[in-house]
Amino acid sequence: MARSLFRYHATLGHQFIPGIRARVLHEGGGYLLRTNAAGFRCGHEFRPERRADTFRILLFGDSYTAGDGVSDGQRYGDVLETLLPGVEVFNFGLSGTGTDQQYLAWREYGAAIEHDLVVIGVLVENIRRVVSHYRPFRTHEGDDVALAKPYFSLEPGGALSLHHVPVPREPRDEGDLASNEAFDRGGRLPALRIALNRLGPGVKDALQRLTRYQPLPEYDRADGAEWGLLEAILRRWLSELQAPAIVCPIPLYQYVEETASPAGYLARFRSLHAPPSVVVHDPLPAFHAHRRAERRRFRFEHDCHLTPAGHRVLAESLATAIGPLVARGGEPA
Amino acid sequence: MTTVLGIACFYHDAAAALVRDGDIVAAAQEERFSRKKHDPRFPRHAINYCLEEAFVEPDALDAVVFYDDPVLSFDRVVKSLLAVAPRGEDVWAKAGPSFLGVKLFAARYVRDLLGQDVPVLFTRHHLSHAASAFYPSPFERAAVLTLDGVGEWATTSLALGDGSALRTLAEIHFPHSLGLLYSAFTYFCGFKVNSGEYKLMGLAPYGEPRFADRIRENLIHVRPDGSFRLDMDYFGFLDSPVVTNERFAALFEGPPRAPESKITRREMDLAASIQIVTEEVVLALARHARSVADAPDLCLAGGVALNCVANGVLLREKVFDRIWIQPAAGDAGGALGAALAASHLHFGVPRRVREDGRDAQRGSYLGPAYSGEEVRAFLDWHDLPYEVVSDRGARAERIAAALDEGKVVGLLSGRMEFGPRALGGRSVLGDPRSAETQTLMNLKIKYRESFRPFAPSVLAERASRYFDLDVESPYMLLVAPVREERRRPFDRSAFDAGDDDMLAMVRQARSDVPAVTHLDYSARVQTVREDDQPEYHAILEAFERRTGCAAVVNTSFNVRGEPIVCSPQDAYRCFMRTEMDLLVLEDCLLWKEKQPESESDDSWRQEYELD
Repeated sequence: MARSLFRYHATLGHQFIPGIRARVLHEGGGYLLRTNAAGFRCGHEFRPERRADTFRILLFGDSYTAGDGVSDGQRYGDVLETLLPGVEVFNFGLSGTGTDQQYLAWREYGAAIEHDLVVIGVLVENIRRVVSHYRPFRTHEGDDVALAKPYFSLEPGGALSLHHVPVPREPRDEGDLASNEAFDRGGRLPALRIALNRLGPGVKDALQRLTRYQPLPEYDRADGAEWGLLEAILRRWLSELQAPAIVCPIPLYQYVEETASPAGYLARFRSLHAPPSVVVHDPLPAFHAHRRAERRRFRFEHDCHLTPAGHRVLAESLATAIGPLVARGGEPA
Repeated sequence: MTTVLGIACFYHDAAAALVRDGDIVAAAQEERFSRKKHDPRFPRHAINYCLEEAFVEPDALDAVVFYDDPVLSFDRVVKSLLAVAPRGEDVWAKAGPSFLGVKLFAARYVRDLLGQDVPVLFTRHHLSHAASAFYPSPFERAAVLTLDGVGEWATTSLALGDGSALRTLAEIHFPHSLGLLYSAFTYFCGFKVNSGEYKLMGLAPYGEPRFADRIRENLIHVRPDGSFRLDMDYFGFLDSPVVTNERFAALFEGPPRAPESKITRREMDLAASIQIVTEEVVLALARHARSVADAPDLCLAGGVALNCVANGVLLREKVFDRIWIQPAAGDAGGALGAALAASHLHFGVPRRVREDGRDAQRGSYLGPAYSGEEVRAFLDWHDLPYEVVSDRGARAERIAAALDEGKVVGLLSGRMEFGPRALGGRSVLGDPRSAETQTLMNLKIKYRESFRPFAPSVLAERASRYFDLDVESPYMLLVAPVREERRRPFDRSAFDAGDDDMLAMVRQARSDVPAVTHLDYSARVQTVREDDQPEYHAILEAFERRTGCAAVVNTSFNVRGEPIVCSPQDAYRCFMRTEMDLLVLEDCLLWKEKQPESESDDSWRQEYELD
């Protein structure tokens, strides 16, 4: 049985176990990871003081940022360090989290650390996670349970209220959850998804292409509740920053492979009300710069996480936005 | 830097091992991860662990080495079956697809698991065993005896190790096999072949070797040089799914004992008889090896090398100056040997013998370890009550006090052992001074009532005060007599008069460490050095300070039929399913009475097959 990677965290719900070295079996051949003393999958220990000759980026996100499926060194945060000499990336990516939990990680761990730039890698699917109160989790024994997560609600006056902190520990059965206890089922039509997955990735891809499957209709309306909550969390987070920030909506593979239209989510992120020091960087054109036939290799055969090639494209795209900032010592244009 | 991954699989006890520049980095059996005893499947979890321990990507591997040559094994199966055709159809139906469909595609398994092509090499089964014994040994030059059931064609081999070289000098070929002969008696006495052999060995002291002559005269012909031939008229392993036949049964006064049925005097006598014959053959082979190999020391591997009674005899006969036995002497050790053989013989990595005279097996603590953070993550996630005792000395005192009070302690400490023995990394401990300990631990922990006593772990520096043993036995592979002055007379009159109740005998105190003293006043000893396992050594020291006794009972951390625990999760589950009193997970102490109620039904007992 594989080594456990996560521990309970009263504020975030869970985090990586500090100080582990692990290898995870995976369809891509397996991947190696280390976690630092603070419990993040980052090659740097989180020293608060920054060296004068270093441009320090605090990077937040979910499993796409933490690097599920790929070894340390192959993740876009690590690749950024190789593309931009003098840049130090503190990776706060945490698998299985939403932007709400990533914001809480910023508050608890990031805010006190000297930095030049904050990069928030928002997997666009996170719009679904921020409205959920429970998330799916497979235990060490292989049982599927629902685990509580912290979440915000948007009050009528526009204020955010935090719930589930400290996060309840007790796992629940999905079937026991009340109708107002939102559970992240990992996408639309979960039963159909499971059935299609059994038929293999080729069948699923073909069906999505044929039906022009839209994975995230939550972005279709500017006044939708889900976008309202995600935007409020991002705005609050961005308003607390002292340094410049980049918000990078990370596309799902349907957008990369153009089986679904990205118009909805792109419109929402472009309209994000943010301070002038914040840049919304869209990496989708960098993926689209590759021929359609090539883009399938940016994700694994079954697992939709980015492959090393996908991470490289994302890093190269981000580097075009970060490079000028580094050159200006962090000053916005 | 030369990095080689060895794998053994598809027969029984699949395993993987990783060797870097000739140094053993990691080794583990697949069963420990899959939780399926003797799991023969491709060892994906064990391979993953080895790469994790070395923290290398697959592209850093110079080669993956399979522990035997599937083409030669296939050749042996085909020729053996042709020799008895048309008999053996059933055997062919079972074995043919296994060899054709699986073994020949080992390279594909490797590619599918690692996601890329890595050079795949094949070595010879007995070379793997011999390499596993010679290269980690402390000897510059040694004779190497490998005795097992069969690998490709060889069943017994003699090799000479010298520096980095290892050369096969002689082989005995299938079907003439000491391992298969012993397994035939294992089966006939109602135990499971390939795993119940140690039970047969433990049964031997109860019996009289009254069948020994019958074995010598009918089953095995041993020449002066130790080479031997079996009379195949008595065995079924060429042409049937079972290893003995009706002639065998007729020779030994009736049909095989049904598994789990009452053990009778016949089985005891058969065990004693085959044990004596085995010792004779091993001694003869060793004497021949000494005469032809021109080496002062001996290395042993192969499943027969786990017969620690024979090993003890070999040691006391002083045929060789010194003996070193690979602790993972069975097929799992073949993974390690394959990696070592490829490193030294194929890639030319020079062998370095340790200057301090110790072996390179690292105490056989070659499996995964779990940090205190990982343990606490598991316990906190499930909100389980525990106490952290960070100071090793204080922790050892607490554990020793519990043992002194008659408590049974589960211990998970440091890296897991490679091989079939628990050596203080994944062990259950008890007080050896109490005659009750054996019964208590059998009934409440192992859920069995065994005729076999438990094994002792003793401080290496005190071993000679307890046992007639003048060498170290870190891997629990030597049986030694309990010292004369510690022995106590016991009443075996009822047994000698024909009462077959072995448990009544074993419950009598036979020494001042009764829980670890067998009927013949022998013990299967593990000597513990501080530099091998400091945590375990500290516990033994604390127990000695408190009680004056420098030994504890050490049995593997599992219930019967279950693989030894690997992770803290496995250990906790086993702890809660048994009546252990205290669980030590690194620096965390968990008392049974403080734990929340666990699963109430015992259907889990059906998960595990008996040996």
